[in-house]
Amino acid sequence: MTEVVSTVQWYLILGTVVGIAGTVRLMLTRDLMARLVAMNVVGIGSLLVLLALGAAAPEIDPVLSALVITGLVITVAFTGVGAVLIRRIEGIEDTQEEAQEDAQEDPQEGREDEDGGERG
Amino acid sequence: MSLTQSALGALVLLPLLVAAVTAVLPHTPRRTLGVGTALVLPVLLAPVLWSTAVDGDVVDLALGGYEPPLGIRLRADGLSAAFLTLSVVVGTAITAYAAVLPHSTGRRIVSPPTMQPEGPAGPGGGAQPEPAEQAAPADRPGVWRPGHPSFWPLWLACWSGLNAVFLSGDLFNTYVGLELVGMTAVALVALGGRSSWQAALRYLFVAVLGSLLLLIGIGLLVSITGTLDVLQAGAVLADAPEETRPAAVLALCLITVGMCLKVALVPFHTWLIPAHAGAPSAVSPLLSALVIKAPVFVLLRVWLWVVPAGEDLAVLTVVLSVMGAAAVVGGSVLALRQTHLKPLIAYSTVAQVGYWFLFAAMVGGSSSGSPEGLPGVDITEDDVVSSALVGTVAMALGHGLAKAAMFLAAGFLKDLYGTDEMDRLRGVGQHHPGLVMAMGLSAVGLAGLPISLSFSGKWMLTTSAVAAGHYWAVVVIVIGTILSAAYLVRAIAPLLVESEDEGTAVEVPEWQLEHASVLTQLPPLVLGLLTIVAGFGGALLGDLLTVGAPW
Repeated sequence: MTEVVSTVQWYLILGTVVGIAGTVRLMLTRDLMARLVAMNVVGIGSLLVLLALGAAAPEIDPVLSALVITGLVITVAFTGVGAVLIRRIEGIEDTQEEAQEDAQEDPQEGREDEDGGERG
Repeated sequence: MSLTQSALGALVLLPLLVAAVTAVLPHTPRRTLGVGTALVLPVLLAPVLWSTAVDGDVVDLALGGYEPPLGIRLRADGLSAAFLTLSVVVGTAITAYAAVLPHSTGRRIVSPPTMQPEGPAGPGGGAQPEPAEQAAPADRPGVWRPGHPSFWPLWLACWSGLNAVFLSGDLFNTYVGLELVGMTAVALVALGGRSSWQAALRYLFVAVLGSLLLLIGIGLLVSITGTLDVLQAGAVLADAPEETRPAAVLALCLITVGMCLKVALVPFHTWLIPAHAGAPSAVSPLLSALVIKAPVFVLLRVWLWVVPAGEDLAVLTVVLSVMGAAAVVGGSVLALRQTHLKPLIAYSTVAQVGYWFLFAAMVGGSSSGSPEGLPGVDITEDDVVSSALVGTVAMALGHGLAKAAMFLAAGFLKDLYGTDEMDRLRGVGQHHPGLVMAMGLSAVGLAGLPISLSFSGKWMLTTSAVAAGHYWAVVVIVIGTILSAAYLVRAIAPLLVESEDEGTAVEVPEWQLEHASVLTQLPPLVLGLLTIVAGFGGALLGDLLTVGAPW
């Protein structure tokens, strides 16, 4: 029994350390991509903590596993949005690259513009 | 399932459904559907508000008939009803504004082939971009045009998330609702075009960090109590054995820090300024009036309903109230130093956030051991907390109404004149009497002058601070009020005073004046009036908040 508890504690500590390391990196670095990765590391750390908490009870708590899955989905969604934003921000620095992106997006954007134009 | 219960479910699910539908429609039907939703939501709110405020009942709905802990439960008590009313009122006003003035919904890149034929006819025509953005398109095909159709699905989803947070009966839905709000808020900020992407990304990092802390906190609470339901968890924790107390306190700390990040309490406030000031005109008021209220609501819920108060929270409450006091003073001083209208209003939000955290001191109990033993006065701990809660909620609601009006007016001026620098906007008030009137009314509300709702809030908070022996809070409130009056006068006075040097006065472009119709001035004016009129509802709010209160 004591061994099980210590395993749980081990994962709790591990999750906390990973989470704190990610938070520190998130706050200290200026590189946007590194910050995005650090955000995911924090996410993994917190999910480790939750999984360890779920395993602490005699029977694994399904509610906590559900929390972990929701957390994963939401982190993935935020990472996607963040990645798009970073691509756009860094695209400003390289106008050539952005021009290509715009050219690819033209058909759809153009259609939306027609709607806007009628109203205006 | 009664009519009221159906309305409860529809308040959350209808905007979500419409958001999903609008995502696949072109722009004009998006606007129509958005306005339709904004017209339906007040109708749905009415029965919920009636049964909580008039009948004094807690409206409860277990979705699909599944009871907690398995099912999803929506619950509207007094606190929920108060915040829900704010969400519906402000949301409806801003939806109307965005529908009348689609320019305010952001900026998008369009390609020259479609843009050039209609360029001269279009009111935007690239006349509004700031210099930095105008320079760039020269060597690229994309051209920035005002108005962004993505506003509609994002805002409607955000509205649904807000209502979900305010109505959630369990912690898990609170988390999901908060994530929906955070995600859509980030995207809404990004609609502001190139200059706001950096701010949006920064907001995203803060929002995710805050949510993860909330998630761990909720996980801890679940592992102690075995339930996600707010009331059940509160009941379990109230009788919990002593050894689980540290875990509960840790969970409370994690949730509090996470929510402080999201609500931008000093010293976590730096992300808020670029995000709120750089967002499109229709988005800034949403962010300031509604989005930051969601974490405040979660904090009130967890502090008062879930984790019982105790001696061991003393350090946390002191830290929170000191941070609140620092926010009130620091935010106001920084607001005084701004030269642009929107950043000034954003710093005013930072200052106002501070007031809501003075509440922590009252929850932490009185400084002199027991409530003041004045002769003939019998004050209990619960009285102090409940009047502090009424004060805090009144201030939060008053801030929501006033700040929405303020940001709408400031955003309108920025869109119209292409700048929000106060020195350049001298004397523009004569062109927009209604707009400046709205700003004046909301300034009265923000500074907390009588008879506004914020005044009732400050009064209640001060009363409970004195009752609990926290005289320093009174000093903070007075200093904050004086400073806020100062920065609001600084913001509004230039609009009323003619420029001394005629050469520097900004001219209104002819084609833009037609957009300054009465209709666009109506939403800020209505919100400004509500700020004042709602002050008469201060007593009603006190009654409302006792519905479903934990004492």
